[in-house]
Amino acid sequence: MNFMDRFKISLLPFSALVFGIFALMLLVYFTNSAEIFSREGIKIYTTNIWLASEEPEKEFYGVLAAIYGSVFTSVIAILIALPISIAYSIFVVDFAPKKIKEWLTIATDIMAGLPTIIYGIWGVFVLVPFLKTYVMEPLYNNLSFIPLFSYPPVSGYSYLSAGVLLGIMVTPFATAVIREAYKMVPFTYREAIFALGATKYEATKVIIGYIKPAIIAGMILAFGRAIGETVAVSLVIGNTFNISPSLFAPGYTISSLIANQFGNAFIYEYMVSALFAAGLSLFFIGLAINLLAFYFLRRWEESGSRL
Amino acid sequence: MAVDYNIDARLIKEKIFIALVILLSILAIVPLFHILFSVFYNGLPVLLKGGINFLTGTLPPPGEELGGIGPALVGTFVLVFLSSLIGLPIALIAGIYAAEYPTSFLGRATKLLLQIMMEFPTILVGLFVMQILVIPLGTYSAIAGAFALAIIMMPYVAVTTEEALREIPSTYREAAFSLGFSRAQVVFKVLVKIAKRGILTGVLIGLAKVAGETAPLLFTAGGSTRIYFAGIDEPIGAIPLLIYQLIQQPYENYHQIAWGASLVLMLIFLAIFIPLRLKLREVRL
Amino acid sequence: MNAIETINLNVYYGEKHVIKNITMNIPKNVVFTIMGPSGCGKSTLLRSFNRLLELNETARITGDIKLFGESIFDMDPRELRKRVGMVFQQPNPFPHLSIYDNVAIGPKLNRLVESKEELDKLVEWALKKAALWDEVKDRLNDPATKLSGGQQQRLCIARALAIKPEVLLLDEPTSALDPVSTAKIESLLIELKKSYTIVLVTHNMQQAARVGDYTAFILDGELIEVGETSQIFENPRDRRTEEYITGRFG
Repeated sequence: MNFMDRFKISLLPFSALVFGIFALMLLVYFTNSAEIFSREGIKIYTTNIWLASEEPEKEFYGVLAAIYGSVFTSVIAILIALPISIAYSIFVVDFAPKKIKEWLTIATDIMAGLPTIIYGIWGVFVLVPFLKTYVMEPLYNNLSFIPLFSYPPVSGYSYLSAGVLLGIMVTPFATAVIREAYKMVPFTYREAIFALGATKYEATKVIIGYIKPAIIAGMILAFGRAIGETVAVSLVIGNTFNISPSLFAPGYTISSLIANQFGNAFIYEYMVSALFAAGLSLFFIGLAINLLAFYFLRRWEESGSRL
Repeated sequence: MAVDYNIDARLIKEKIFIALVILLSILAIVPLFHILFSVFYNGLPVLLKGGINFLTGTLPPPGEELGGIGPALVGTFVLVFLSSLIGLPIALIAGIYAAEYPTSFLGRATKLLLQIMMEFPTILVGLFVMQILVIPLGTYSAIAGAFALAIIMMPYVAVTTEEALREIPSTYREAAFSLGFSRAQVVFKVLVKIAKRGILTGVLIGLAKVAGETAPLLFTAGGSTRIYFAGIDEPIGAIPLLIYQLIQQPYENYHQIAWGASLVLMLIFLAIFIPLRLKLREVRL
Repeated sequence: MNAIETINLNVYYGEKHVIKNITMNIPKNVVFTIMGPSGCGKSTLLRSFNRLLELNETARITGDIKLFGESIFDMDPRELRKRVGMVFQQPNPFPHLSIYDNVAIGPKLNRLVESKEELDKLVEWALKKAALWDEVKDRLNDPATKLSGGQQQRLCIARALAIKPEVLLLDEPTSALDPVSTAKIESLLIELKKSYTIVLVTHNMQQAARVGDYTAFILDGELIEVGETSQIFENPRDRRTEEYITGRFG
């Protein structure tokens, strides 16, 4: 036995290193945000104030607008990703001719892997002008009495632009999870449902119900990707401290706030700490979302292994 | 034959359903083609006009000139190389550990942690590395950028390694042990070699991933538009970083360079990704 | 001296008791068959002889096993496995290696040879022993997966022989093969027992009758009966053995 243990022990430092990096990361976030917590307490998360000042005693930071923007844009993203990824999974598995199935999967894999900055440049020069002219302006001109459409789309940089871009970016991730689950549904179930005289629609509805945990997991993972995305979002959201119910208003997200402000944060006494506190909230949102997604994925896998 | 009084309604529903699925599927795929089209449409003329100088030259002043993205291109390769040097050994061995000791506490914890890290917001890694490397060293540097990228690469490589190893039927493991090999020999001389395609796939995906990363470089690599490479402890450029910076400038020629750089970046990505993805089907075992 | 002796051998998988207090002797230079219905613990018993069971973290062994008089639990498991070769149910040549390398990998990693010439000789010797040489000598560099199932299994025998073991364990080596390949391997085993002790696990009674000098019958982890093959088949002492060989269960 002893030689086996020696092997284990020689590998151990490398695994430990992965944990070490993660622990160090957590430590860095805690120690760096401690300052702002002791100064402002929970107000760093519950207020929307951004007072950067040369005089430290006047400084005050609250990142509520960024948290709001992160959640708002990510919710838009998964509302877009949900129907599209389910439909695409059904299409690839059930409808597409054999010859192009593989290519349809490759296409979404490319989308999932494409550098995010490419989504960014496309978002700035193509998507935002398109949404502004064909979606935001008509809706604002005709329906601005609805709060969702009440903000004048001056630049086009807005929650909506960020949410739609994120929706496009995360759809492939959700699709991968849902498609795999949908494909794995044992053939005998499909046979059984069609044998009962179901139409394609009815049969699909039953199968989709069956893979619900996988769909939930896919959506949560997509939400996690959306909330953590930085550069593409920061290029199209407008980077404004703002809490507005309107889709067309500019805003901030946690990650775009960090990307935008961290470069010059060192001029101020407390801004670095405030940004680390913002990062810490993203850290925990990310952790919670991932654990939740794994929980649902495991539930799905277990329901599969019982068959 | 029993007549289903509802059959018309049911069939109409089915038709609507099929139409909806097709419509939404088109919506899923259109952005990809539009993005590919836009990048080629806007980037190709820049590449053709700039010629080889676009790949080797440096950034011009704002105005009419096109110049080149040489320092960023060099920087991307340097960063990918350095980050592999740091990240690959750790990732491969962590992946082997998780595969070899799947029931041990540390093995399970490693797997879970790697999966969490895989989904982690990359900007957080950049901020972390700034605090532990850039501030103590007093400058943005290639090594800081590479370290941030290594942290991002690790989970991809480790998780694919783990999966590739675990897919090997246990009979090969038994056969290797029955020949009197040590565990290290079983793993490194037999299992890793059987799984080498899967592992290589993970490595290449990791490389493709970090070659396109922007956020973790914002506060670590620093960027460089005039100097190609000044040492691993000096600031360095990267294509994604350059694009991000150029888009935010108001100058028309900078936007053109950004499109050209996007095309270069996309071609690098596709050149790694497409052959890899096509080969994947052939992985036997 | 016996090749293998087990003394009050018990194996547990977690709470499950799978080998129950087995004591038996395997003489030298014979084909010793272990038969019994699927799931009776035959393969587990076989894997305890080269301590391959230790790959399964839930497995626990009590009692003792002796190889030529020496307890295997006092040996380094690697040394033990060099002395006890093994062939598995499904032919499992390493898919990434050539025919040659599949045989050579054992001697190479265990440093049994000094030079390339010596290795070439050893590989040739092992392939000849396994009655495969004539079929593969012109394509030693082909991938092993190009061989037929029966050839792959003989390659696995050559792989095991190349580390010069004293005992050869075979876990239902022909269950995945056609009758012609099976016959080839069976006559090979009879040839090999001149230089090796062979322990063959099978659920095929005819096979046990054809090749076994001695046969042990295992049922639910218990050793029901052991003796010379002719005695077991012609004159079983236990009612359950009789029921099994007359096909009333199993």
